[in-house]
Amino acid sequence: MSTFSLDEDQRQIRDSMQRFAAEEMRPIARDCDEDAGIPDEFLEKSWELGLTANIIPEKYGGYEFGRSVLNNAIMAEELAYGDLSLSLAVMVPNLFVLPVMEMGTDLQKEKYLPGFCGDKYKVGTLAIIEHFILFDALDIKTTAERNQDHYVLNGEKCLVPMADKADHFLVVASTSKSSNNEGIDAFIVEKSIEGLTIGEKEKNMGLNALPTNTIIFKDCKIPLENRLGGEQGIDYINLISWCRIGLAATAIGLAGATKDYCIDYAKERIAFGHPIATRQAIAFMLAEMAIEIDSARLLNWKAAWTADKRDNLLRLAYLSKTYASEQAFKVADYGVSILGGHGVIREHPVEMWFRNARAFSMLEGMAIA
Amino acid sequence: MNTVVCMKQVPDTETLIKINAEGTGIVTEGVKWVMGPYDEYGVEEALQQKEKFKAGKVTIVSLGPDRAIEAIRTGLAMGADTAVHINDAAFYEKADPYATASALAAAIKDLEYDVIFCGKQAIDDDSGQVPAILGELLGLPVITQVIKLEVADDKSKATVTREVEGGHAIIDVPLPAILTAQKGLNEPRYASLPGIMKAKKKPVDVKTVADLGVSVEPMTVIKEMSLPPARQAGKIIEGEDAAEKAKALAKALHEEAKLI
Repeated sequence: MSTFSLDEDQRQIRDSMQRFAAEEMRPIARDCDEDAGIPDEFLEKSWELGLTANIIPEKYGGYEFGRSVLNNAIMAEELAYGDLSLSLAVMVPNLFVLPVMEMGTDLQKEKYLPGFCGDKYKVGTLAIIEHFILFDALDIKTTAERNQDHYVLNGEKCLVPMADKADHFLVVASTSKSSNNEGIDAFIVEKSIEGLTIGEKEKNMGLNALPTNTIIFKDCKIPLENRLGGEQGIDYINLISWCRIGLAATAIGLAGATKDYCIDYAKERIAFGHPIATRQAIAFMLAEMAIEIDSARLLNWKAAWTADKRDNLLRLAYLSKTYASEQAFKVADYGVSILGGHGVIREHPVEMWFRNARAFSMLEGMAIA
Repeated sequence: MNTVVCMKQVPDTETLIKINAEGTGIVTEGVKWVMGPYDEYGVEEALQQKEKFKAGKVTIVSLGPDRAIEAIRTGLAMGADTAVHINDAAFYEKADPYATASALAAAIKDLEYDVIFCGKQAIDDDSGQVPAILGELLGLPVITQVIKLEVADDKSKATVTREVEGGHAIIDVPLPAILTAQKGLNEPRYASLPGIMKAKKKPVDVKTVADLGVSVEPMTVIKEMSLPPARQAGKIIEGEDAAEKAKALAKALHEEAKLI
């Protein structure tokens, strides 16, 4: 049995991320949401946290401190406590780097990892989601058909985070007609390749600050060596599960931010002579928020811990993502209720968190732990 | 350039402080502890100087119980090279500024340094005396409330800017010297992930006060500690018009507040 208390490293990681979130993210979050964009200075500053170089092996220019899914989950939650959109933007490079590091061939690692060890924010991103009703991450419609010396990539991806800034894409595509996940692979695609079109920036309901685009692939010729993991391909279930764990952690961060904001508000807001926190209708909602958040976190930590042990994690990762995203929406909804009229006013962050929580439930592959 | 940074672990500024049952200190359970914010400017400045000179060592020296190691690690995670942890809970418990400075001086005297940085004050007891006493014990000049530092290339002297009422004073000081950091000196960096991971491999020299050969007794004792009185509710002056309100206000100031 593992312990539930954080070790010293984890406490330091949490404290450092908490501080970054409070000082660098929260103050600009509303403006980023209104402007539908993220300032470059912020991205550069976030790069100094070393989230990407930290895990890359020394021989590729990184620090080789190894990857801990649990530590990454703790980190993701704290960053998302600052702001969900900004936290996702900060973590986007890892969407490309982690799969390459964990599943790539030596050649792929040598080619792509050193580029992410410099001192400038660099983006590689992951393209999973497609424009289909009932999109299923295990039933991918984008195809990669094998020819003699290359694959031909066809299809359309949406909600690809930071696509406009990305130099490389990791594109999830189906290599066989079978409908199970056996035939799903990921391909490293350069931005400059012929047949690739980056669509207009999407206008989304929530996560406004995070730029996302549609990407269209029309007969893109992908060299054989760009199939992630080479001839043997990848364990796609692991890839999608890591994304789910990372995403779940960010949803918990958003919920935690909402709860804390509402507690402060409910203690200060006087109605009929007393702070509304003393009214059962409010107190019960606050209590339920706390129960949801703690439950979601326990499930998330268990999934992350399982991932670190390299056990089969499809089920736990899926449960964690589903539960975390449902609780985040419920908590954000309660948040709007607790703030009453102020819940829908843009002066308070709760309405933004509500939109973010709703948009969030659509996501797959925007964070990775 | 070699620097020593004196650092104290203090309660986070957002922690709700309660007085203990004896009334002589604060309840330490449930408190979130952090590196003193002014000490953090000291750590950052030491790192920046080291980066500027592309050589040297930054050593953190801290007096405190077991828990102080976390603040020390934060400093190491920011980039400091080594640390001395004077881990002596019994001594720390009753240490006044003189006793604290004596322990720090004993730990620092054998270290190599061009500058000793201290925060201008610890934000818990706010005494602000330790750097000055330390200067006396080590025979070094002390400049307080430094907001800018320029060290000469040969490290023989420094030009420092300090805050004075309504303006700045620019002072030349021979090195080594003790400088106390004021807000504005720099913007402390965040501990990066690689920094955090590296920190645990950095050496921390743990010593008791006895190991350092210090046997001083504190010169002062805290007799009692209390929280500020709760703020009274304000009073709204009623009246038909401004003249009547002014009259009521003057009356209240004279009769109730006894101010006029």
